[in-house]
Amino acid sequence: MTPRSKLHRLGSYFERTLVNNIMAAPSKSDSSCWSVPKVYKHHEQKRVCISRSKYREGRTARAVKVYTINLESRYLMVQGVPAIGVMRELIQLCALYGVVEEYRPLDEYPAEEFTEVYLVKFQKLTSARAAKRRMDEKSFYGGVLHVCYVPEYETVEDTRLKLQDRRSYVTRMSQRREREKAQLEKPKETTLSDSATTSDTITKQNQMSNRNTAEVTSSISHYSSFPLLPLPPQEQPLYSPVHQQGSMQTEDGMGTLHNAITDPQRQRVHGSDHTSSSQGQSAESRPPTSHASGVRLIPRITHLENRKRKIQNPGQHLSSVSGCSNVFIGPKLPEPSKLDMEDASLDTTVSLIRNAMKQVESVPDLKPAKKKVKPRRRI
Amino acid sequence: MTSRVGSAEDRFEFLQTLVTEFQDSDSQDAKEQILANLANFAYDPNNADHLRELQVHELFLDALTEENDDFVEFGMGGLCNLSMDPQCRAVLLQGGALKLVTRCLSSQREETVLSAITALMNLSEPPFGPQVTDPAVLQCMLRFSLSDSPRLRNLAAVFLQDCCSREQVQQVEQQMMGQHGAVGIPLPKS
Repeated sequence: MTPRSKLHRLGSYFERTLVNNIMAAPSKSDSSCWSVPKVYKHHEQKRVCISRSKYREGRTARAVKVYTINLESRYLMVQGVPAIGVMRELIQLCALYGVVEEYRPLDEYPAEEFTEVYLVKFQKLTSARAAKRRMDEKSFYGGVLHVCYVPEYETVEDTRLKLQDRRSYVTRMSQRREREKAQLEKPKETTLSDSATTSDTITKQNQMSNRNTAEVTSSISHYSSFPLLPLPPQEQPLYSPVHQQGSMQTEDGMGTLHNAITDPQRQRVHGSDHTSSSQGQSAESRPPTSHASGVRLIPRITHLENRKRKIQNPGQHLSSVSGCSNVFIGPKLPEPSKLDMEDASLDTTVSLIRNAMKQVESVPDLKPAKKKVKPRRRI
Repeated sequence: MTSRVGSAEDRFEFLQTLVTEFQDSDSQDAKEQILANLANFAYDPNNADHLRELQVHELFLDALTEENDDFVEFGMGGLCNLSMDPQCRAVLLQGGALKLVTRCLSSQREETVLSAITALMNLSEPPFGPQVTDPAVLQCMLRFSLSDSPRLRNLAAVFLQDCCSREQVQQVEQQMMGQHGAVGIPLPKS
């Protein structure tokens, strides 16, 4: 039958939708009760991808597949339920993830021998999502469940609400980000100007002077764009305890202790009222506008800079050895480094892990450890 | 909250790595995987700013012009996800997404068509007004609303009810009655 003849038969589109709306529930169920439900492609489990490069590998093997809101649904189909009368248990399990509005066995759906297939309708999409994530490929009374979304059971109204919900959620999130950004930018305007002008020269000096002290650790020098991990214990003697203590005290005395910690998170946590910390914040709020990941870190370095100079002036040993290294302003992208794992992908993994470790390191209660790290940071 | 912000930097870096690999890689498989990765990242609204900054929408739009159907499907999926965000919508409209997305309505893959319809709906959201007024698109939606596939049928119905005026639809229906041109155009296979 051609679309055109269907049109004739059914009359105008809006008459049809009227009929659909009135009949919504029954038409849905009778299409699935009296006709054999179709097996759609999105019910199938796609083969997992085994050729991913290492840094892109997740914890579990997954297929190459893109999820959109169209694929999601509050209707789930559960396949592979052992046919031993465990419907009640299955629904109880589902109910752990949210209110189940409706459920029934899909007897007509082609199932493997001795298994059953169920249709479960959750009240909310988020519940269905959680249930799918937790139940898919999990064993259940000796069988392995396969859970998938079945958006084809949705009514027009279901689909509409699903899309509206999603849009309004994303819009809310977007507005929230805007607000956060606006809050961060306020302090930036007032305090950023003075530090920006001097940042260039100071950074240069500092980079040079520190480069040498850290040649031992040159393998990490590429990653100066972010705070480094603590170095292995044998390198501790490089930095005289006296010097370190001195620096700690200075910082304490200046009341800028928290800014000594280079992690942006912490700056955000601790400092909100004095200017120095708001610089840290502004440095952070910039990434959205700047393309190179490098640029955004300069104010923070500058900041460290000033403090460093104050510390270094008494004991000149750091700056006196400068001169043999190239200028190295701003961070580089994590490109081919001296970390040589002999595989670009592994190197990327290493740098990602490093970053993750850095985050772990910066948890506030680790202050002392962090301070030790700091002097070696601008390698 | 701090952890969320902290991970944002990581995430930006990771996304940047992905984009770089996509651009540098010669392997179709790797590109396809990364495209799917990015499209899935686009689902999370927290990534919207990063992805916009990295111009990933351009990458998705480019994918629509590829020969490989997987590329088109993933690229369209990414656009569908990305277009949920109001700011991304603006960028997409400026980038001429409307035309490329509309072209995807003729895809043979249902998933691609569904993503395209949803993206068109998103792009027609209020701040930008009804963008899709082309009678050809409405005709297409009317045909989809007769499809055997419930998902396509439903989505087309929502489009016709929410994104166009009743008059528009009736007008197009009249045209479809009058001419045979629209008949026989194949619907996407599922």
